[in-house]
Order: sequence, then C-alpha cells, then structure tokens
Amino acid sequence: MKIPIHFILNGEEVSVEVEPNELLLNLLREKLGLTGPKYVCGIGECGACTVLLDGEPVLSCLTLAVDVDGHEVTTIEGLAKDNELTAVQKAFIEEAAVQCGYCTPGFIIMIDKLLKENPNPTEEEIREYIRGNLCRCTGYVNIVKAALKAAEELRKNTSLIKIKK
Amino acid sequence: MSSSEDPYALMEKWLKAKEFLVVGKGVRRADALEKAMGQARFVEDFYMPGHMLFIKQVLSTEPHARILGIDASKALEVPSVEGVFTAKDIPGENQVGYALPDQPLIAEGKVRFAGELVALVAAKDFDKAIEAAEKVKIMYDPLPYVLDPLEAMERKDILVHGEVGSNIAFRTKVRKGDIEEGFSKSDVIVENEYRTHHQDHVYLETEGALALPELGDRLTVISAGQYPHLVRAIVARVVGLPESNIKVIIPYMGGGFGGKDDEGPLVAAKAALIAKLTGKPSFLMYTRDESMLMHPKREATIIKYKSGASRDGKLQAIEVKIIHDTGAYSNRGPFILWRATVHASGPYRVPHAKVDGYCIYTNKVYQGSYRGFGNPSVQFAAEAQMDSLARKLGIDPVELRLKNLLRPGDLTITGQQLNESVGVADAVAKLAKVSEWSSKIKAYSSSNGRYRRGIGIGVAWHGISTSRGVPDWSNALVKIEKDGSVSVHTGIVEMGQGSPVSSHRQIASEILGAPLDVVTVDFGTTDAPDTGATHASRGTSIGAIGVYVAAAKLRERLNKLASELLGTSPDEIEIKDGKAYLRSNPEKYISWKELIKEAYSRGVEMSATGYFFLPKGKFNDEAGQGYAYPAFSYVAMVAEVEVDTYTGKVRVLRIWPALAAGRIINPTQVEGQVEGAAVQGMGYVLMEQFVFDNKGRILNPNLTDYVVPTALDAPEIMRPVYVEDIFKYGPFGAKGVGEMALIPAPAAIANAVSNALGVQVTKLPLTPENVYFLIKEKMGKKA
Repeated sequence: MKIPIHFILNGEEVSVEVEPNELLLNLLREKLGLTGPKYVCGIGECGACTVLLDGEPVLSCLTLAVDVDGHEVTTIEGLAKDNELTAVQKAFIEEAAVQCGYCTPGFIIMIDKLLKENPNPTEEEIREYIRGNLCRCTGYVNIVKAALKAAEELRKNTSLIKIKK
Repeated sequence: MSSSEDPYALMEKWLKAKEFLVVGKGVRRADALEKAMGQARFVEDFYMPGHMLFIKQVLSTEPHARILGIDASKALEVPSVEGVFTAKDIPGENQVGYALPDQPLIAEGKVRFAGELVALVAAKDFDKAIEAAEKVKIMYDPLPYVLDPLEAMERKDILVHGEVGSNIAFRTKVRKGDIEEGFSKSDVIVENEYRTHHQDHVYLETEGALALPELGDRLTVISAGQYPHLVRAIVARVVGLPESNIKVIIPYMGGGFGGKDDEGPLVAAKAALIAKLTGKPSFLMYTRDESMLMHPKREATIIKYKSGASRDGKLQAIEVKIIHDTGAYSNRGPFILWRATVHASGPYRVPHAKVDGYCIYTNKVYQGSYRGFGNPSVQFAAEAQMDSLARKLGIDPVELRLKNLLRPGDLTITGQQLNESVGVADAVAKLAKVSEWSSKIKAYSSSNGRYRRGIGIGVAWHGISTSRGVPDWSNALVKIEKDGSVSVHTGIVEMGQGSPVSSHRQIASEILGAPLDVVTVDFGTTDAPDTGATHASRGTSIGAIGVYVAAAKLRERLNKLASELLGTSPDEIEIKDGKAYLRSNPEKYISWKELIKEAYSRGVEMSATGYFFLPKGKFNDEAGQGYAYPAFSYVAMVAEVEVDTYTGKVRVLRIWPALAAGRIINPTQVEGQVEGAAVQGMGYVLMEQFVFDNKGRILNPNLTDYVVPTALDAPEIMRPVYVEDIFKYGPFGAKGVGEMALIPAPAAIANAVSNALGVQVTKLPLTPENVYFLIKEKMGKKA
C-alpha cells in the first residue's frame, strides 16, 4: 500500500509515495538522495540520523515517513543557506571537530538547535545536550570546543546587529 | 633513475630541514568542509535501491556443528530473489586466512562459531532479501564445543580445526639471557595473572561494499577496507579473476580502527562474489548486529607475568606467558601475538627475559586487528607489574620507571640495539612534571571517604612497521599537472585519521614549494601504487614516505630547471609563495605556473613515484632473538580517577598524554588522534564488554547493551607533551601516532584505580560491578 505524503524538505515542497512502515531515514537517503543523515545503530542510540522536524531534533531511523506528512523537515544539507555555512559548521571545520565525518551531521544539527535554545551554554550543558550522539573518533574534545566557539561567534554577531540598530 | 634521485640521499637531505612552510603546523584537513555539509560520500551513499541487488547474510546459530544440508527452496520462492549462494558457488578459492590458511569466506562442511557466514541471499528488493534470508533452512549436526582458552589448550577431543591436531593455532617466543640468574639477583619478585577482554570497534559506519561488474570479466568494488590492494587480492582469490581485472576504491570511511583491515576484504569479496555470479551490481551493508556478531574483536587475553628487580630498582628478569583467545579463526592472530610477545617487557631494559605466546582456537567470534594490536593488554600487565614492584620496593612508580626506561644504545628483549629515536625517558620526566605527579600521588595515598581519588601512569612502546623484519614498503604517485596543480595518488585510506587529507598534502606542499591549496590527494585506490595498509600507525609514518620521496624527486627536477632558466646552480633555488627564485636575489624569479609550463615544454617529466623499501634486519624464530622493528614510537599517559566506593563507579577526571613519536607533522590532527584513542581506551577499561552465553553467542550485539563513551563520560584531556625524537626513515623524521594513546590507557587507568583503592587491579573491565567486588574483597581481607 502506497501512501502519498507532502512535506517541506529543506525549504522545498516534496510530494512522494511511501510505504506505511517506511522510515524517514530511508525515504531521505534512498528516494530523495539526501545521504547526509546516516544509518549507524538503527535503534536510536547514536544520533547520526538526526534531522529537524518542525525545528525539533528527531531520530529519522525511528520516525515513520508517513508522520512527516504536512510538516517541515530539515537535514544537514539544508542548514547552509546560499552556500553560507552556519556558525556551527564553520566552528566544526576550524576546531578540527571533524574526523571520519559519520557522526558530524547529527552533532551539527543538535548543536545548532542547542544554540538557538541557549546562546551561552556552559561546557557541562553542551555535553548534556549531545549525550545522545555518539562519536568514536574525537573523544568529544573538539566537538565541545566547536560548540563553545560557535556560541561565541553567534553572540558576537547578534550584538553587532544590535549595535547597528 | 639519475643518482640525484636516490631515495636515501633525498630522505637524508630533507631530514636536515630546520625551517618549515607547512610541516609542524595545524593545517586544516581538506575533507572537513564536505563532511560538515553532509556531502562526503561513504560506501552506503553509492547504493541505488531498485537498480542493484541487495545482499543479506545467513549466519550460523551454532557454535560448532557439521552442516548436513541447506534448504533454500522456500527462500527462492520469495519474489525478486535472485539466488541463495553458498560455499559451493565460489568460483575461486574459499580461503581468506591472512596469517594461516584456516578460514573460509563462507562456512564449508562445518561452522566454528555462532555468527559465522553460511549463505548469502540476493534480491532486488531490500525487504525481500531479509525475508528470504529468514527462510533459508540450515540443517546442523551439533558438535561438542569449547569456549575457554585454557580448557581448549588441554583438550584433544574437541578440536576447532581437526586438521591442526590441537587448539594451539600458533606459538611465539622471546629468549634473552638466563631468567634463573635474573631472578636469583632479584630482591623482590612479583607474580600476577592478568585478564583482558574483547572490544568491539564500534566504527559508526558498519562494513559495506558495492561491486559493479563490467564487460570483459572486470569488476569495480567500492568497499570498506584499510588496504585497497589487499581487498583486491582477496576479491581476486575468491572470484577467481586476475588482480589486474579488479579495481578497488575505498571512499571516505566512517572509522576503521583496524577492524576494517580484517573485515573490509571480506565484505568486498562477498559483494564481488554475488556480482560475479549474477552479473549485476550487488550491495552488502552489515547491520549493526551483523557487524558486532561477525567482525573480529580486540584479543581477549590471559597473561601470567613474573618480574624481578634488585633493591636499587633495576629490573633483572621477566617471565611471561601470553594466551590469546583467537576464537574460531586465527585471522591476524599470529601477527597480533608476535607484537604482544616482543613488546612484553614494556619499554624497559631487562637483562633476562623469557616470553611465550599461545594463540588458541575456541568456538567464539575470532580476534583481529584493533588499535594497539595485541599491545594494550600486554602493556597493561607489564605496567601493573611495575607498580607492584614499586610498592614492594618503596620507590615512587615514576622514579622506578625512569631507572629502567630504554635510552639510546640500549638493547630490547629481542637483543635489538636502539641507537636513535628513543625519547621515552625524556617524555616520562616531562609528563610527571606537567601532571604534578609527585604532589598528587602523595595527596591521594591518604584518600578516604566515599569518593577516592587516584592517579596512575602507563608507559608503552609500539614498533613501527610489521613485526620481525617482515618486508614493508611505501610508495605514491605524485604528479604536477600542466596548470600547476598537484595530485597525489596513494593507497593510504581516509577513515577519519586524516593522513591523506592533512599530512600527505603538507609533505607534498613543503617539499615542492607548491601552495598547499593546489595539492589534492586521491586516496584509497588500487589505481595508486601499492602503498601497504593504513594500519599499525603507518598512514603518515610509512605511507607518506612515498609522497616524501616522489615529491623530492620532482623538486630536484624543478630546481635544476629553474636554475637553468635563471642562470644559477640548483642549490641556489628556493621555491615558495608561488614562485621559484634565487636565494641570494629573490627579485630574480619565475612563477610556479610558468616554471611548470616550462617543464612540460622542455621535456622534464612532472610525475614521479616514491618507492621506498624499508631496510630491516632478521628475527630468529628458533632463538627468540633478533630484529623486531625499524623504530618504536613511545607513549606515556597519566590518568586521574575518582572511585565511588559505594557503587564501584569509576570516573576518569583528567588524562595527560605524552608522545615520543618523532616529528609531529600536524599537531592538530595528532591531538585529535590522541584524544580519540584515549577515550576509546577509557571506554574499553570502564564500560565496553561483550556478554557471551553458554554457546559462545554474543548476547549484546547492539549499542543499547554494548555501551561506548558519550560526551558525558569523556574526561578532560590535556595537551600532549611532545618529544620529537627524529626517526631517519620517517617523513621529516615522523614515527607513528594513530594507535599510541590507546596503548597505555588500560595501564594508566587501572593503575590509578589501584592507587585510589590500595589494591592491584589485574582484571578488566573496571565496570562498577567488578570494582565493587574489588572493594568488597579488600574489605574482607582487612576484616
């Protein structure tokens, strides 16, 4: 049984037919060609498949595709606007928070979200927020550094805008 | 080859460099942007569902059984199923053992562990492949099985490999001096039995391969792997084609840590087999549970260790028996055991040594390559011995180590003299200072109450290149294109460690004088010359020698050409900042682009390979003495822990690492390796553990029940202490780094826990449960 669904994906409308048991991760990767979200554990333990659903992080390996009907999905591919990287993406590159890169999309999505909720997080708050994302390469040191740096950059930019006003 | 292009002469010349343009700097890796954007392509990202066959594996449920028959009739009825394939369908050889010819790709006649591959199902539809795999019926005649390595050593009635006649797959030994004499000179002797457990790599990307058949019996395989030429050799053997018909591409990998050096060629061979048999593109990606059930693990060991020292703190003798539970197949077990055996002393002067190694078959998942390769377990034992000796002698643990650490000119336990590049003592002395060792060890010795602090040290060594003088080489192809851009082609893979995307580019740029941003590296492909594997911390230390030598050859040609164009001698030419100029007169120059254009128009070849065969000595297996490695990297680690004596939970608070690994080409990437390895080591010591049932089956092949560290578990990791003890055959003097910080982690953390609790830890892992019983046992002794 195919079910038609319509949703906004990275700012663009998408109409597609899915199976009732089809996972959002598989829909994104296999039908829509967005391979940024990764399959790692398949059971919601690692966060590598994290995407935003109406702005909230969800695990796309545990989300049914039919459930995004009428909603808005953002993947790692949709974060950079007009080829301008987000502060978190830039900080990941600058702070060497990227090694193998498999966990990177999930971490960037999460930290992007964290900084929207909390523009001035402590190291402890960052670690707490990303505890559901696994990385096997970095020991988390540079990921945390990148989050702190991105937060600082974002605060600087916001204060600049304020001054301009 | 002109004499000016002799690799030894070129290496000697560049080793003398004192000032650097890009070497030694924290240059950003070239792949960071595409990875941060989610655009980097890994094996699974090349799969196109509906256009390719999907492969599902059928695994053994029995630890040891004869295969009476395989009934695929029900599976073949499932729509879109292309076929069910077993050992008998293999057109080439069903033999994939790396060290010994004991391992089939697909079980033949019998299975030797629960999780072994018995059949492959291929279907156009992913769901149907899974459905069909569940319908394949295997008829087993169960055989008696053996799980415990000590029991397996003794038994002759249950044999994992009947044709071997025993469960001892392989033996190793080292003999130096006379241990009887050594122990008679010893004022203190300590003897302990150590046990270490399996570890899963938990690379975030599981094993996968996509095989694309082409006309004329050719195959392209996009696969996991750490050595494209080895992947190709195994594929060729299994499908029965010449190696030259097969092209292997290893794209970005989501971690390797050794595991994909073992399992990469196997997943490639499985996908290639189906592609060869069906003529269709075929894709196999292990699920997490398949990966955890099937791929080889870090060795589980039993190590019996006796050490003696004189009152002045000098080591006199060691006697060590190392038993590796190799599981159902030897895989790389003999190589792993060799490494453990020759490193058994730790990086110390020991006049009398007797070391025996045993690689034992059991009916469990087999052991394999994992960051450290047999060394973390034996360094844990050696370093626990050092702490036990220190306690008995009343000498500070760091001081005891400093009295015995290897220094230039010393002999190892295999009798190899180390004349250069031995910076370990310097590194340990500096590490003690930065970690404030002396004051902390004093303060924590009286630690009381519920939470107890402890500090511990682990010092280790790790031979560079293959053990015992086994041949090893490097190579690369470096080309300067007509537009002045530079391409480097290497078999070294990119699995997160960053050598192709950072150090290789830096080395090419440094030597050629070409701007860093014009250098591109094409990695992980059989199109490059055979570079050897990306394992054993050799990606930069040996892998990049090829880049170093090839670039140096091109630089000689460029200097000669530029000197002719500018009317001077080649030695007068400097190349940097996009131009070649006279050192004495920078105004006299030719731009980089013009220079390359001239090379093409004047018949100067702008491509070169950088083959280098490492000079080595010989090891005498009979005597247990001889040459082990061209050089050693050294690593030390201090760990500070807090133990909750109510629950047994250990927290690692801080880690101080130190490296004597030659020239540090890229400190940022090296720190990344150190931090990642330290946390992987911490996970191994504190939380990671497989649970086996009474049939040797893994009960927790998933990331819920096999727990790896999160950001909340990871300790603070301080900046490493570097002692750049230059190695003459490393690029700019570099030695290996990738594995290093994992190797002393079990020792450092376990010794810190020992010091916190006033016990000696001899068994890993230090899960809350195990630590709780350690505390109970100690309290029982007191009472």
